[in-house]
Amino acid sequence: MKGARATISTTAPGRAHARVATPAAQRGQAAAAHAPAPLAQGVHAAPRWRQERGTVTRHLDYGADHRWLDLEVPAPFEAPAPGQFVELLLAPPAPVLLPRPMSVAAVSARAGHLTLGFLYAAVGSGTRALAALPPGAAVDVLGPLGHGFPLARPGTPVLIAGGRGVAPLLFAAEALARAGRRCEFLFGARDRARLVGLDRAREQLTAMNGALYLATDDGSEGHAGDVVGLLDALSTRIAAPLVIHSCGPHAMLAAVARWAERKGVEAYVAMESVMACGTGVCRGCPLPRSAARRAAFREAETPSLLGNREFAMCCTEGPVFDARDLDWERVE
Amino acid sequence: MSARRGNGGAGTAPDLSVRIGRVTLANPILTASGTFGYGDEYAHVVDPARLGAVITKTVTLAPRAGNPPRRIAETAGGMLNSIGLENLGLARFRSEKLQKLRALSATVIASLGGETPRELEELLAALGAERGIAGFEINFSCPNVAKGGARYWAVPRRLENTLRRLRPLTRAPLIAKLSPDVTSVADLARACEQGGADALTAVNTFVGMAVDLEAMGSRLGRATGGLSGPAIKPLALARCHETAAAVKIPVIGSGGVVSGRDALEFIAVGAAAVQVGTATFVRPRAPLEVLEEMRALLTARGVRSIAEWRGCLAGAEPAAAASHA
Repeated sequence: MKGARATISTTAPGRAHARVATPAAQRGQAAAAHAPAPLAQGVHAAPRWRQERGTVTRHLDYGADHRWLDLEVPAPFEAPAPGQFVELLLAPPAPVLLPRPMSVAAVSARAGHLTLGFLYAAVGSGTRALAALPPGAAVDVLGPLGHGFPLARPGTPVLIAGGRGVAPLLFAAEALARAGRRCEFLFGARDRARLVGLDRAREQLTAMNGALYLATDDGSEGHAGDVVGLLDALSTRIAAPLVIHSCGPHAMLAAVARWAERKGVEAYVAMESVMACGTGVCRGCPLPRSAARRAAFREAETPSLLGNREFAMCCTEGPVFDARDLDWERVE
Repeated sequence: MSARRGNGGAGTAPDLSVRIGRVTLANPILTASGTFGYGDEYAHVVDPARLGAVITKTVTLAPRAGNPPRRIAETAGGMLNSIGLENLGLARFRSEKLQKLRALSATVIASLGGETPRELEELLAALGAERGIAGFEINFSCPNVAKGGARYWAVPRRLENTLRRLRPLTRAPLIAKLSPDVTSVADLARACEQGGADALTAVNTFVGMAVDLEAMGSRLGRATGGLSGPAIKPLALARCHETAAAVKIPVIGSGGVVSGRDALEFIAVGAAAVQVGTATFVRPRAPLEVLEEMRALLTARGVRSIAEWRGCLAGAEPAAAASHA
């Protein structure tokens, strides 16, 4: 990690901002609610995913019962964008049948192949079997799937991570930094031990000149309370308009969505679902649409791989959604 | 059992063509309804024209939003689904999908679903003469809908009468897809044959259940779902065997096929063709891989045609009597 060192605050905003949003500016932002983005932008074109044989090149313990996996995938696999996911399929004989959807946490390209990085917890039989794979083992990779965070949206990017949701958002922070944009990064967990990969997050954000703010429910690190409480405390000190990109447990995303709705702030959330195919064909990963989105839904303009009036498909319309598009009362 | 011995023809490509009603399929590997979209969604990785036929997602008169989450639960060697016949409905299928299907140069079989015989008549009246649809599979066996599902249709008389009403509405082959969750699949099969079906699909998914002891509830949004995948292959194979022995019309085997060997097992016990379903969710190219592996196995054994292989293990021994051996 090279680059300019900056002071990273772990407890409170420690950085001066060129423009600080005033309460009045916040209210103005709320009044001028952003126009709805087109439904599932970028997925109208024919699918371009493919399934290729990948090879484990690195597989490490990452603390807090998490693992980091690097997979080398041959060209012409398209490089996933932050927020996109792939389906990982274990080579037979495997203890599970279906591939596992996994968010991409890093991408690096070398001649003829890509290296994709993943942060995961071995919690089920599929991920436990994955965790046992040594370097050199084969894993089939299908992707890239879905669409990622709309990082080009104008405003100050505020990245809000819960637990292992930190990994795809650090990938997003890198993409923003390459585009010359600085982000505010909020990272929350139940306690200090569950701030998975905290050292790496610090190191990366320092190199990117990004600000890192921490929250733990038990107060063992950073703000004592949830990450939305931290967001609420920080928000007036961040240059408006804010654009939130968030990844973490659904309960946290729901709280982020409700906060953003109240404040009239744009928010994009990376959702999870049980999936089979990951490509829109099996119809296995519905998420309930909000009343507003149901009312605005136009069948004839919605390709069949996307959802219907009642349900969005997590795999093809997501996994990243405009938070206003989902019915948070009915999201599991 | 001549097919197993080989006959000096090893190395020459076998004739894989199969006749279903008045239609000849280039080979016996089909996609199972609900696992290949409307035919065009996987086209960038699987050329559907290379398959025997593509069977579309089931189309109903009105669009259906499908069942609430969760819709998928993986179980040992298989998966439960509770999709609930989510589909575009007849009007959008006609206006958007038919043209795309024609452009694929594939053999397309439309799957139709109805809650009553009348609904199926309306669907077939609308689509029966459409260019680009080579045949129709009537979904008499969805396990995941409150009305017009597998239980409603598992009545021989109702199947026979419904097919009699459908028969005059199209010249294209009519394939009746049967549920395995019945007392006698042979009785349903004979009723369909009597009613004028050109072929049968044996079988749809098995009704199954999975419980989450942490959440203390079903792992699906509904109590039950349809079980598919390798877990059901032995069950499906037995139903296929029984069905093929009960009728003279072709039987299309379905249930847990993931390899060319699996396909050959179904055809050996009497199937004329085979559907690949859940395997496509795991490996989208699975239907083509099954086809190529099957072709290679037949070639290696010197089998000259799929017709020669078909029923080579059907025997006279009914499944129910096998335990006396």
